[in-house]
Amino acid sequence: MPIKCNLCEAGAILKRPKTGDALCKNCFYFAFEEEVHKTITDANLFVRGETVAIGASGGKDSTVLAYVLKALNQRYDYGVNLVLLSVDEGITGYRDDSLETVKRNQQQYDLPLKIVSYEELYGWTMDAIVKQIGLKNNCTFCGVFRRQALDRGAILMKVDRIVTGHNADDIAETVIMNVLRGDIGRLQRCTAITTGTEGALPRSKPFKYTYEKEIVMYAYFKKLDYFSTECIYSPNAYRGFARAYIKDLEKIRPSAIIDIIHSGESLSVKKAVKLPTQGTCERCGYISSNPLCKACILLEGLNRGLPRLGIGKSHKERRKLNEMLAQKEEAGNEKTTPDNSTETTENASSEKSATGSPKQKCENCSCGQKCLSEKVEDLQLDRRKIDPTLIDF
Amino acid sequence: MCSVQEGEDVSPARKEKIVEERTCMKCEKKAVLVTRVNDAFCKECFMVYVTHKFRAAIGKSKLIRDGESVLVGVSGGQASSCLLHLIQEGLSGRAHKKLRFKPGLVFIDEGATIGMSAEERLANCTQVLEIMEKTGFPCYLKALEQAMELEKEAFTNTADQTDTASVTSVENLTKLHRYDKAEEELLALMDSLKSVSAKEDLIKSLRQKILIDLALKKGYSKVMLGDCSTRLAVQLLTDIAQGRGAHVAMDTAFADNRCNDITIVRPIRDFSSKEVAMFNILNNVPSVFIPRITTKAADSVSIEHLTERFVTGLQAEYPSTTSNIMRTGEKLHTEKKSSSENQCAICQAPLDTDVPPSSALSAVRFSETVSRCSSVTLSIFSTDTACCGGGTCQSEGQKESECCGQGDGSCQSKESKLTRDEVESALCYACRLLIKDLGDVSKLPKHILDDISQRQRRTKMKSEIEDFLLDPSNTPD
Repeated sequence: MPIKCNLCEAGAILKRPKTGDALCKNCFYFAFEEEVHKTITDANLFVRGETVAIGASGGKDSTVLAYVLKALNQRYDYGVNLVLLSVDEGITGYRDDSLETVKRNQQQYDLPLKIVSYEELYGWTMDAIVKQIGLKNNCTFCGVFRRQALDRGAILMKVDRIVTGHNADDIAETVIMNVLRGDIGRLQRCTAITTGTEGALPRSKPFKYTYEKEIVMYAYFKKLDYFSTECIYSPNAYRGFARAYIKDLEKIRPSAIIDIIHSGESLSVKKAVKLPTQGTCERCGYISSNPLCKACILLEGLNRGLPRLGIGKSHKERRKLNEMLAQKEEAGNEKTTPDNSTETTENASSEKSATGSPKQKCENCSCGQKCLSEKVEDLQLDRRKIDPTLIDF
Repeated sequence: MCSVQEGEDVSPARKEKIVEERTCMKCEKKAVLVTRVNDAFCKECFMVYVTHKFRAAIGKSKLIRDGESVLVGVSGGQASSCLLHLIQEGLSGRAHKKLRFKPGLVFIDEGATIGMSAEERLANCTQVLEIMEKTGFPCYLKALEQAMELEKEAFTNTADQTDTASVTSVENLTKLHRYDKAEEELLALMDSLKSVSAKEDLIKSLRQKILIDLALKKGYSKVMLGDCSTRLAVQLLTDIAQGRGAHVAMDTAFADNRCNDITIVRPIRDFSSKEVAMFNILNNVPSVFIPRITTKAADSVSIEHLTERFVTGLQAEYPSTTSNIMRTGEKLHTEKKSSSENQCAICQAPLDTDVPPSSALSAVRFSETVSRCSSVTLSIFSTDTACCGGGTCQSEGQKESECCGQGDGSCQSKESKLTRDEVESALCYACRLLIKDLGDVSKLPKHILDDISQRQRRTKMKSEIEDFLLDPSNTPD
């Protein structure tokens, strides 16, 4: 005997991953959209008349987000202008394909689109970065750079708010990951639905309580087209452990994902614990909790051939660097060319030549000819002479 | 940034050096074991290290005073046997500075939950009691089913711990006292909980209730538990996964003061399970293995089981995992609510269901409503009404108490039955998940239901006089 839909009299064609109820197609669309609408109205995410940029990667979350926001904007009249914003990290074989999807989305939903690339902004593509640093810790570079790239692109489009397609599974993974890493500052902030209200553009997550499986189900039944492959550089990310744990948890108890988010929201930190305070970067003016923002430090490291600057514990890196300096002194002050080995920092002579000459930079980034670092200088990063004391070791 | 970056060049070297070649890091003599990642110890230095950590944990907290009575929960397993041994050493005259508190030991027999036969349960109890008696402290024996028929009691300071009538000893133990009715009730409750995670959660809460109850009756002001850091790290993640984020700090801190009169302390919370095992081997500490509900179960049968596998697996690759988790727990705290009405009826922790509209709890409620009720009733949805779970619902009508009679005016009920909504309103988020499985809420232990009924009556009282109460903070408890 066919199962009946819970809400109407039609036959049910799916079981909701979130609550296990049997629903027909239209009632599922209704339930899904109503939940997103409630999330938006309860948190007062949108203000009438503002421009909202949707971070579009071409993947399932951003495709469905664009579709649903457009529909809800019309149905409930939020009165916002929607635009699409996409970031090109320069990963061949992965990003090119997903960018095609975004361009298709732009035509289908009739929304203006802007693409910003790491190449223009920083002078480095992810492919080049991975050649320098290897397959571990590359996610750090991509994440830090993408955050700034989104903000810069949004400023160019004169946008008031950014929305991203982070879903409930993502937030649950972040909570678990921050507990495992002991990052109290992030743990406190990661469950907030809107982050970054002072200084940078606010960014919100309307899909905060939406399960990943439901997003896929929605896209499947509505026949929305998206690009779905894992990033080729991500298999060793630490987040993978948290993700596997959450997938297993979901099998035992489907509500576990929302339970983790509830736990994250109920956490309270002891007053005595020191949390990072917000300031601005001295070089580029972006928000930062240290004198130099992470992107500047990482970029500095890449350009000087010290790709691990900014990754790992700074006192250990400094110790390694000092050891290497000592070794080089014994070997007789030979200037070594940096090789592309990923784990140790080789370029000891950069400590001595405080102002790195442009020619040295060229050997490190993978461009053969004219180094892009001059182009980067022209752009936005205000490159003063490199002063080691400013770099927060 | 986690993950051992320099791991590649360090770990091959580590694997080649075996213990025989290493010297103790303190005294340079031959090392016998390795704790943590690289720390080798000889036997004497290890004992000094362990004893010092134990005493420091107790001393730093300044909670345990001279002459205080402390109830020690002994499960027979490795960690609690280690704790027992440390307490014995600490109290004996030989110690450097004698510990000064008066311990009493209690063992809770949980055999009913896994369907152990009476002989097996007797055998286990005898074994554990023998170990406990060698210490010479007063010993008590309780069964988990006694939690179903607890009576609420006030704290008595003058109770006599040497009251020999209740102290059990091995000679008297020829037959276990059977609490048949309670055992049936417990089994009925266990059966109606479908998921193993819910069962485990319930056992944990019942166990705690028995300990607190015994401490109250016999005048112990503290309860000491033998939880090592590995177990507490697993507990922390399990709590987060079940929605107990607000209570994480209480469950894993040194001192847990959820009950107003009794404090639960965990002196060996800094010991990894490896250190506990090494200690037991070096000192020939006897322990008894008693199977639990998840022993030899299939992988990921319950949340705690899965989390244990996850944490121990991660710990093998990244040795700082458990200490990271514990440190995160130390930086969190739980807000303590003033009155007992703000405590969960099952787990005694402060309620965390007072949430703003933009939150996970209201999102869950909304999802349930939107998937089960027809769209007509959505317009009258408010965050206060929980969905009744039925097909077509009229959400306004649920608050009225239903008539128990036969429609002719006769009243049939002798005692009013609590509705599901009323029970839920007195529980924290995670305990609500626990009873979600439960078909019939009246299967819960009587004292919990009584507690909830009392709260309902008080809430009614308060709503009648609400207009005349001057300041919310002046309300008497």
